[in-house]
Amino acid sequence: MAHDHSNTPDLSAGNLTGSGLGAHARNLGLAAALLIGIGAWTGYRSGDTQEFARAYVVAMMFVLAICLGALFFVIIQHLTRAGWSVVVRRPAEALMQNLRWMWILFLPIVWMGWTGRLFELFPWADLAEMAKVSPADAALVGNKAGFLNQKFFFIRAAMYFVIWGGISHYLWSSSLRQDRTGDPAISAANRKWSGPAMILFGFSITFASVDWMMSLSPVWFSTMFGVYFFAVCATCGFSAMTLLCLRLQRDGQLKGIITPEHYQDLGKLLFAFGMVFWAYIAFSQFMLIWYGNLPEETAWYLSRQVGGWLWLSWALLFGHFLIPFVLLISRWPKRWPTTLAIGCVWMLVFGFIDLVYLIVPHVPHDVGDFARYSEFAAAHASDSPHLLDPTLLGLTLGMFCLVLSMTMRSLMGKSLLASRDPSLGESLAFQNM
Amino acid sequence: MTTLTTTTTPTTAPSSTATSARLYGLVAEFENPAQIVAAAEKIRDKGYRYWDCHTPFPVHGLDKAMGIQRTILPVLVFVAGAAGCTTGLALQLFTNSFNFTIWALVWVTGYPFLISGKPALSIPAFVPVMFELTILFSALSCVGLMFLMNGLPKLHNPLFTCDRFRRASDDRFFISIEARDPRFYRSKTEADLKSCGAAAVEAVVED
Repeated sequence: MAHDHSNTPDLSAGNLTGSGLGAHARNLGLAAALLIGIGAWTGYRSGDTQEFARAYVVAMMFVLAICLGALFFVIIQHLTRAGWSVVVRRPAEALMQNLRWMWILFLPIVWMGWTGRLFELFPWADLAEMAKVSPADAALVGNKAGFLNQKFFFIRAAMYFVIWGGISHYLWSSSLRQDRTGDPAISAANRKWSGPAMILFGFSITFASVDWMMSLSPVWFSTMFGVYFFAVCATCGFSAMTLLCLRLQRDGQLKGIITPEHYQDLGKLLFAFGMVFWAYIAFSQFMLIWYGNLPEETAWYLSRQVGGWLWLSWALLFGHFLIPFVLLISRWPKRWPTTLAIGCVWMLVFGFIDLVYLIVPHVPHDVGDFARYSEFAAAHASDSPHLLDPTLLGLTLGMFCLVLSMTMRSLMGKSLLASRDPSLGESLAFQNM
Repeated sequence: MTTLTTTTTPTTAPSSTATSARLYGLVAEFENPAQIVAAAEKIRDKGYRYWDCHTPFPVHGLDKAMGIQRTILPVLVFVAGAAGCTTGLALQLFTNSFNFTIWALVWVTGYPFLISGKPALSIPAFVPVMFELTILFSALSCVGLMFLMNGLPKLHNPLFTCDRFRRASDDRFFISIEARDPRFYRSKTEADLKSCGAAAVEAVVED
C-alpha cells in the first residue's frame, strides 16, 4: 500500500501521555497493600516459617523475573540497534526501571540473616543445624562454604541490585533525556554500554538464581540453572511487557503507533523464549540428570515427582510448552490482541507455577540408599503443591500489583513513546515481510 | 510458453525492433518505490497473471499491491516437522524398544537394546533424536519447497537480455508482463504500462 509510508500516526501529546495512569497506580497500589497484607498475615498465622519464607521467595522471584525480562529486552534492543521495537521500548523501560527500588524486596531476607534465622530458608546458613538432619549432607555442603556463607551471600546480593539498579537507571534516564533533547548521541552511547551491560546481566542473573533458588537445596546443583532462570525471566518479562502495551492501547493511548506488526514480533519473542527455549533448557536439565542417575542430583527431581508434584510437572510440560506452542505458532493469534493477551496471561500464570515448582519442594536427604528412597516416596505420596495457598497467592499477586502500580506511576507525566529516538520512523513504518 | 507467444503475439505492427524473434514480454521502468507500488495496484486490477515486479531492495506493501496471497509454506513446513518428529520416534522404537520385523528394502528385525540400565522404551532418551529430526526435516523442506515453489534454480531469464533491466539491481524499479498472459496484447499492455506512469516500456524477446 502506498499510503503506508505517507500516513503518519497521531504523535500529539494526547496520544502519547497516559491520562488514567494515576488512577491505575492508586488502585493497583491499594490492591497490592491488601493482597500482601493477606499473604503476610496468613503466612504469619500459619507459624510455618519455612513455607512462609519460600512463598515469599516465589513472589520476589516472580516480580524480579518480570523486570529482569524487561531489562533484557531493552538491553538487547540497544545492542542490536533494533529499529522495529522503538514504539514498544518505553513500556518495557517502565517495567525495567522498577529494578531501581527492588532491593527493598530483599530486606526480609536480610532481616532473616540479621536475626540469625537464615538457615530456615537456606540450610547452608547453619551447618550445625543441617548436620542434625543429615551429617553427610552437611559435610558435603561444608565444602561449599567458601561460596555459600552468609557474608559473601549478602555482598553478592548487594552487587546484583547495584548492577540491575545501575543499568536500568542509566537506560531509563538516558531514554527520558532523549525525549527532551532528541540527541542521537544518546542512542549511540546506549549501544556502546549495552555490550558490557549484557555481560553483567548474564552473570548477575546466573549467580542470583544460584544464590536464591538453587541454594535452597544446597547439595543439589545444575549447571543449567542460570539459563533456566533466564527462561523464566523471558517468559514473565515478555508477557508482562506485551500486556502493558495492550493495556495502554485499550486505555486509548498510542493509537496507531503500536500496530499488529509490533505485536506479532512481541508474540514471536514470547513464543521463542517462553515456550520453545524454556522447553529446550528445562528438558536438557532433566534429561542429563535422569540419564546420569546420580542420587545427589536425582533427589531434586524426586521431590518434584511425589504426590501432586508429579501432576504439576506434567502440567508444566503441557501448560508451559505444548498448549501455548500450538496456540501461538500461527501468525494470526500473535496479531489479534485478544488471543495474544490470553497467551500472555497464560504464560504469566505458568511462569508463576514454574517458580513454585523450582522453589517450594523440599529435596530429601541421603536418598542414594534405596530404602530411604522408597521411604521418602511413600511418606510424600499425598503431598500436593498448594498453588491456591493464600500466603503464596497473596504475596505473589500483591507484589505483581505493586510492580504494576510503580510502573504506572513511573509513566505519569512522561511520554509513553520514545518519541525522539532516531529510529522512530523505522519503527512506525515497520512491517513483517 | 512458445505456443502462447505465437498465438497471442499481436497482429498490430510492433513499435520498433526485432519482429522475427519471439516476444517474451514487456518491461516497464519506474523511478521510485511509490510509483511501482501504485502501478502494481493498477496492473493487479487489470487482471494480469503472469507478471512480476523487480526492485533493488524490498519494498514494503508491494506484496499486497500485487495481490500476492500468503504462502502455504509454513503449513507444509509444520507437516514436515511433525513427520520428522514421528520418524525419529518410530526409528528409535524400532531399533531400541521392540523386536518387530519389517521390510525396508530387505527384511530387518529390531531388538530391545539395554542402554545405561534404562527401560527399553524410554521416551526422554528419544527426545533429542526426535527434536533433531524435526529440525532437519523442517529446515530441509523449508529451503527445498521454497526453491520449488519459486521455480528455482533458474539459471537464466530472458529479462537479462534487456540492457535497461540491469538497473533493477541498482536504482530502478521494473514491472515485467509476460506475453503468455491471457490478457497480454502488445499494444494494449504497452498502453496499460504507460498509463501507470512508466518512464519507459521496452519489449523483451526470447533468446
